[in-house]
Amino acid sequence: MVRWVKRLAAVCNGILVFALFYHGHTRVAIIGGLLNLAWVVDEWFPSDIRRFLGPWALVINTAFLAYGILSGGPSVLALFLAGSSLLAWNTGLFLERWSDGPLTIQYQYLRRVGTLIALGLLAGFSAVTLHGRFVLAFLPVFFLMLAAGFLWLRIISKVLKNRNPG
Amino acid sequence: MNMTRAWSLVTSLCLILLLAGLLLKNGILLAVVLPYLLFSLIPFWRRTEEPHLIIERRLEPQYLWGGQPCRMNLSIQNVGNDLEEVSLADVLPAGLQVEGDLTYHGIFRAGQTEKLLSTGRGVRGKYEFSGVRMSTNDLLGMCRYEKFVPSPGTLAVLPAMERLERLKISPRRTRVYTGVIRSRESGAGVEFFGTRAYVPGDPLRHLNWKAGARWDLLITNLFEQERVADVGIILDARSAVEVRADGESLFEHSIQAAASLAEYFLREGNRVGLLIYGRMVEWTFPGYGKQQRARILAALAKAELGEHAVFKELEHLPTRLFPSESQIVLVSPLLRGDVPMLRYLHALGYRVLVISPDPIAFEKRFLPQDECTALAERIARMERNATLSKLRRASVNVVEWDVTTPLRIPMKQAMVGEKRWSVG
Repeated sequence: MVRWVKRLAAVCNGILVFALFYHGHTRVAIIGGLLNLAWVVDEWFPSDIRRFLGPWALVINTAFLAYGILSGGPSVLALFLAGSSLLAWNTGLFLERWSDGPLTIQYQYLRRVGTLIALGLLAGFSAVTLHGRFVLAFLPVFFLMLAAGFLWLRIISKVLKNRNPG
Repeated sequence: MNMTRAWSLVTSLCLILLLAGLLLKNGILLAVVLPYLLFSLIPFWRRTEEPHLIIERRLEPQYLWGGQPCRMNLSIQNVGNDLEEVSLADVLPAGLQVEGDLTYHGIFRAGQTEKLLSTGRGVRGKYEFSGVRMSTNDLLGMCRYEKFVPSPGTLAVLPAMERLERLKISPRRTRVYTGVIRSRESGAGVEFFGTRAYVPGDPLRHLNWKAGARWDLLITNLFEQERVADVGIILDARSAVEVRADGESLFEHSIQAAASLAEYFLREGNRVGLLIYGRMVEWTFPGYGKQQRARILAALAKAELGEHAVFKELEHLPTRLFPSESQIVLVSPLLRGDVPMLRYLHALGYRVLVISPDPIAFEKRFLPQDECTALAERIARMERNATLSKLRRASVNVVEWDVTTPLRIPMKQAMVGEKRWSVG
């Protein structure tokens, strides 16, 4: 079941990327669409490629959605793309560990990931709706950026320090 | 609890989007951060439980012969809370061939017990099991808890043995118990020892009528007492004596010989000790019977070649470990420098028997059959013969053993050559 959810999410990704860039950036739309279609059939690839493809597909989709937003694309599509990319990536991760897991576990997992994605999307849509109602002052923005930058550097250094598989 | 790479990736993306959103003052980008942020925060909301497991390892049998299978039963019980996803992997000792379940991956409910059943086989050696590597993570794969749970166990694959028959040794001193070794003392026995004048109380059936007729006296026959003896087996485990070719080792044959000899001498009721001389001195205290046999075989199972500056030559052999005037059996391919120490042992009153696996014949099988090999063999053979003849001249009994033949054949030939090993 998770396998089909993953395939469906990857197909959605392709459609969403295509739709996001269809007007104005046809080449990007085609490249993004093809990449996500490759993600649909990644079970046919060797495990090394599959393991490599999942995280990179998420990174590229995130880059696409950021570019789409910055180039004035529809924010709703961008949010859906974020949700479905995360879903496809995480289900791929689950399938790596449980290629043929028991149904109860699959249900439990889908419930959990579904709740998380739904919550994320709802929060995102709420934020989009509230967009423009808040004024981003310099000081809070600056402190947030500092905190985010510090956190990110810490994560990167930690990952480089202990290169355990996971 | 450790965060996984997946968590690092999603958190990195979240922070990059956040930075970009803040830098460009783009509210939509900041809104898109939220699904990523939820994934990043999930490990802090649902923490991975620390698992509490009880692991029991059972090996049946613990001591086995080469090729014999050992049933390995690993029982794992969860005495903590429910665990969503657990991976368990038994850490196996190197060299052991195992078939069966060695890993478990799945849910582990509180109170649940999992059994991993497998079969192990191995070559001679001691195999130490350390424990089980366990990892548990949340279903989303964001955080992981790893732990090594110790569950020690030892499996010993004993060396192969050959059944030896009728080896005669005659140490200068025997022990008080009845055995099969001639004690050089008169008493109850079956072998003729000598005669003396009859004294009242001597059994009449022991009267020697012929001698009596000649001397015109009543002469009685004396018989030699047969007793058990102390036998010290020395296994030469110095790296310098090892010959290894095509995956086969001469040392393994030495071990096999030592095991066969120990088994024989114990079967005959003697008190047997074992000294492994190599990287260090490993001493199995002398003893009798089946328990001693098991002790010696266990010591031989874990015997390894080694090198140490002190034990490079045989001169540091701890002779005081062996009872005085007892029988010493050295199993060694021999080096030139070993002769003086063996002569010294003989001078101290020990009876020394050397079982020497032939390193030249062993290595020749793996070399190309050409003139060079023939010449090299000739030179090596001359050198070895010189060493062996020096030993024989010093009244040390040497049995040269081509390891392609069973040990009992050269032993039998040596017995025919010298009626009994009591010369010297």
